[in-house]
Amino acid sequence: MGSTSTRNNGEGLGRRDLIKRSAALGLITVPTMSFLSACASGSDDSGSKDTSKGKVTKDNPFGVAKNGKLEVVVFKGGYGDDYAKAWEALFAKKWGTKTSHLGTQEITGKLQPRFNGGNPPDVIDDSGAQQIKLDVLFKGGQLLDLQAVLDAPSVDDPSKKVSETLIAGSTDPGLQGGKVVSLNYVYTVWGLWYSGKLFKEKGWAEPKTWDDFLDICKKAKAAGIGGLAHQGKFPYYINLLIMDLIAKTGGLDAMKAIDNLDPKAFVGSDAAKKSIEAVYEIVDQGLLMPGTNGLTHTESQTRWNQYKAAFIPSGSWLENEQLKQTPADFDMKFLPVPLLPGSKLPFEAIRAGSGEPFIIPTKASNKAEAQEFMRLMLSKEWSTSFAKEANSLTILKDGVDPSVKLRPGTQSTVEAVKAAGDANSFNFLYPNWYSEMDVAIQNASNELMSKRIQPAEWLKRAQAAVDKAAKDPASKKNHRA
Amino acid sequence: MRKGQYRFVAGFLLAPLALYLIFVIWPYIQTFGYSLTDWSGESPNFKFVGLDNYTALFHDDVFKQAIWHNVLLLVFIPVLTILISLFFAFMVNVGGRGGAGGVSGVKGSNIYKIIYFFPQVLSLAILAVLFQALYRSDEGGLLNGILIKLGLVDANSPIEWMNNPKLVLWCLMVVIIWHGVGFYLVLFSAAMQSIPREIYEAALLDGAGRSQTFFRVTLPLLWESVQTAWVYLGIVAMDMFVLASTLTPGTGFGGGPDHHGEVIATVLMRNFLYFGKSGYACAMGIVMLVLTMIISVITLRATRRERIEF
Amino acid sequence: MSTPIKDPSVTEGGSVVPGQRGTKKSARPGDSRSEGMTLNVFSHGFLILWAVLIVLPLLWLILSSFKTDAQIGGSALSWPTSWDFDVFSRAWSKGHIGDYFLNTAIVLVFSVPLTMLFGSMAAYVLARYQFPGNRLIYYFFVSGAMFPVFLALIPLFFMMKRLELLNTYQGLIGVYIAYSLPFTVFFMHSFFRTLPTAIHEAAVIDGASHTRVFFQVMMPMAKPGLLSIGIFNVLGQWNQYILPSVLMQPQSSGEPERYMLTQGLIQLQQQQGYATDLPVLFAGVAIAMLPMLVVYLSFQRQIQSGLTAGTLK
Repeated sequence: MGSTSTRNNGEGLGRRDLIKRSAALGLITVPTMSFLSACASGSDDSGSKDTSKGKVTKDNPFGVAKNGKLEVVVFKGGYGDDYAKAWEALFAKKWGTKTSHLGTQEITGKLQPRFNGGNPPDVIDDSGAQQIKLDVLFKGGQLLDLQAVLDAPSVDDPSKKVSETLIAGSTDPGLQGGKVVSLNYVYTVWGLWYSGKLFKEKGWAEPKTWDDFLDICKKAKAAGIGGLAHQGKFPYYINLLIMDLIAKTGGLDAMKAIDNLDPKAFVGSDAAKKSIEAVYEIVDQGLLMPGTNGLTHTESQTRWNQYKAAFIPSGSWLENEQLKQTPADFDMKFLPVPLLPGSKLPFEAIRAGSGEPFIIPTKASNKAEAQEFMRLMLSKEWSTSFAKEANSLTILKDGVDPSVKLRPGTQSTVEAVKAAGDANSFNFLYPNWYSEMDVAIQNASNELMSKRIQPAEWLKRAQAAVDKAAKDPASKKNHRA
Repeated sequence: MRKGQYRFVAGFLLAPLALYLIFVIWPYIQTFGYSLTDWSGESPNFKFVGLDNYTALFHDDVFKQAIWHNVLLLVFIPVLTILISLFFAFMVNVGGRGGAGGVSGVKGSNIYKIIYFFPQVLSLAILAVLFQALYRSDEGGLLNGILIKLGLVDANSPIEWMNNPKLVLWCLMVVIIWHGVGFYLVLFSAAMQSIPREIYEAALLDGAGRSQTFFRVTLPLLWESVQTAWVYLGIVAMDMFVLASTLTPGTGFGGGPDHHGEVIATVLMRNFLYFGKSGYACAMGIVMLVLTMIISVITLRATRRERIEF
Repeated sequence: MSTPIKDPSVTEGGSVVPGQRGTKKSARPGDSRSEGMTLNVFSHGFLILWAVLIVLPLLWLILSSFKTDAQIGGSALSWPTSWDFDVFSRAWSKGHIGDYFLNTAIVLVFSVPLTMLFGSMAAYVLARYQFPGNRLIYYFFVSGAMFPVFLALIPLFFMMKRLELLNTYQGLIGVYIAYSLPFTVFFMHSFFRTLPTAIHEAAVIDGASHTRVFFQVMMPMAKPGLLSIGIFNVLGQWNQYILPSVLMQPQSSGEPERYMLTQGLIQLQQQQGYATDLPVLFAGVAIAMLPMLVVYLSFQRQIQSGLTAGTLK
């Protein structure tokens, strides 16, 4: 009968709670309806059932019992899901655990009902376009505090805590209300991308300043191709360029002003003004790839792979995503966003950080297994396995066996990360914290790129979005120093 | 006898009513309940906030814009679809070369009916893929490809159909019209064929031209079908979710550019699933429901006519 | 060559199809009836134009599935360089089109007849019997046609969860029936009202029970109406996306996927986001269109006459 694997229990308590609430809402009017009302809302699964626990030891800090169960759901996106299957096999071998696996793009569609129903899976890679927003999950009390995992002894060197083996600051994006509730596992860099082959052919040098960048765009235009392509249907991408430029021009203070919803984050910020005017110049001078404002990311990136534009903004998943579309000699290269005059950060500075948030729901049925799984993810063995299967770096410091040969794009990001160092890596947090504000700024950017609004108007609209987010009492919980 | 009759009535109503109550009515009642809370959608915990969500709606410009778009769709989709279908139905049934009797359909009218109806059997999912490719904003899109080939559009500034605030709603309407015309053509054809030929012949004998015949004879006799069509199309125009959310630009169920492609359903779903404002979204749904009911009543009243018996 | 008076009624439809293809192209000259003549050319012109507008995009999409990603990105009017059917087998396996098609068929085989049975039962008693609350129940049913479906989704989900009907065929069948009832009741209600009462009365006088009268007298008489509402329901339920996307998700990873075809297509489209392969998407759509085309062409006469019957009251 297609019943769920997690059986309902705690019927009495849940029911009482439900009836109380329904009564408060005036929903129960006819007593005979109560059987329906009992069917109505799912807050009743207590979730954390008594799984027989194993002994807690130094090697087994969460007390995983042999032959338990573990359910893993991963976002099957740019990294595929083979890496997770490999991990699950390793885990099953070690603990005799019965693991189950689901790789999907429809995280919200598949999991939101289960969060509501109180029977979420144990480990989730909550990512992609249909990610369930972390701020929303956090507000609902659905996310387990991962501090225990970070404080546990590292698999490779038990004398160290797991947190001490990670790249500095890589757990920050997982912060909600001061707690690390998601483990952003993949180390991603964001910026511009170009084809080494195209640049060599045309004799163009990697631009370090905005003027050089515009110059190449103009040359590209003269050569009959677009200067900048972007993924217009999803203005997330052009916002990468705009926000990076603001951070590099105004320094970390400009970035924090936005994350902390400063009343002068955009209007009144010199860096923001200079940056958005610079981006607008691309539009104004007609340097965009034709039609790019209306293209999906797939369409736009494929055009770029066909040498129809010089630059495109994206994160380091780009190479994997476009694997099939990239010509063999394309020589994909990462480019930090070029500098405006008087920038506070150097050219090498990049937006870098951990992405691909892995979470453990508070209502997961097998929390010990889930936490141990996460600890193992942060071992050199599993990190290398990820690099092999998914062709990307993880937040584990020196986490990849040097014997793994990387593709040109990924290799160029490794160099960029090294050049930037911890000091010149930055990352915005507002997209995770304030989804409504993020979307509002994206909409404004789309208008700017389509030349329907001017930079002054963009600043006003971005500021309005910030001010609106600041009015929400929930925003008081988030602050970065 | 009477008792048996009641038992029979009750017996026949039991199963349909039970299904309907459980799966349709009760969830809607609960939705109303949720609309009075600050429910986030991800968590079963929420508190009662009274009518706050409803008062907030009055200040939500995006929502108001979406309602306005639905109203526009509600006017234009039925009007255009019905006009085009009527036109073709008339062509197919009365547009042929007159023989001795003077009124006949064009040759091959059945082929037309078969072709025209076909889009109706395609699911919205297929339409979404098809029109995404058609409206693509560079030379790779069918429309731009043709226009560029014909020299009507410069390859360097192709038409960004869905990224144009002035075009986006019309582009969505075209999809619905493309999809629906065949269905209403067949519907109207059927009604036209039920009109006795003598009426046409009498009209022609009186010296009426074809257009006169159409407006004076055909249309009034078709009024009931037109009214039915209006109601069906109105329901389509109020929804639009699948098409608007897949074809228009923007994060979280489309609705762009800059809310110009927004309909109530996209705003509702974005708030529901993306912003975690599910209680608020439920309030939107209730407003949508009330609007739909008001509009249906108005439509039915406004189009009510004396029924012509023949 | 004068055309005989021809009633273009659909009942002779089938034989017309191949025979008249040639005459579609243009009106032949030589007829002196000028008004009819111009109108004929005029109407054919418009009719052909619209037919092209329908056929062309569909053919273009099928053609595109033979192209490579690079060609799809290039000019829309380019011609595929190779006719490789591999893409269709990829779409078949990647999109699980076959499985999803079967799933959809399983659900519809039960949901459509049951919708019609329950809908007719309710409509019949509401249309032909006087009892207190009759109008109330009628409006109660009919108003459901106006509710936006996604409003009910989350509560409906919990209901299904409690009843252990999530990701089951029987659950989706029940929901499809329930959500099709408003329109079915509305439609059949007006149909039953138009049926003559004399036969009904005669049957009752003969001592037939109400139930027997319904099944043996009224249902056969309502056949044309049933046919057309059947078509509505097949189309509506076949194309339903939102309900299955919420209710037909495996609730734990061990459970089998029982996706409907529309879900499969949307999934195929979403996969584009992460591993670009547009030809596969187009091929998947083409495959999904094919059975509908076959079914439609084989039943188009019934579909059209069904609609005819349905609007003749």
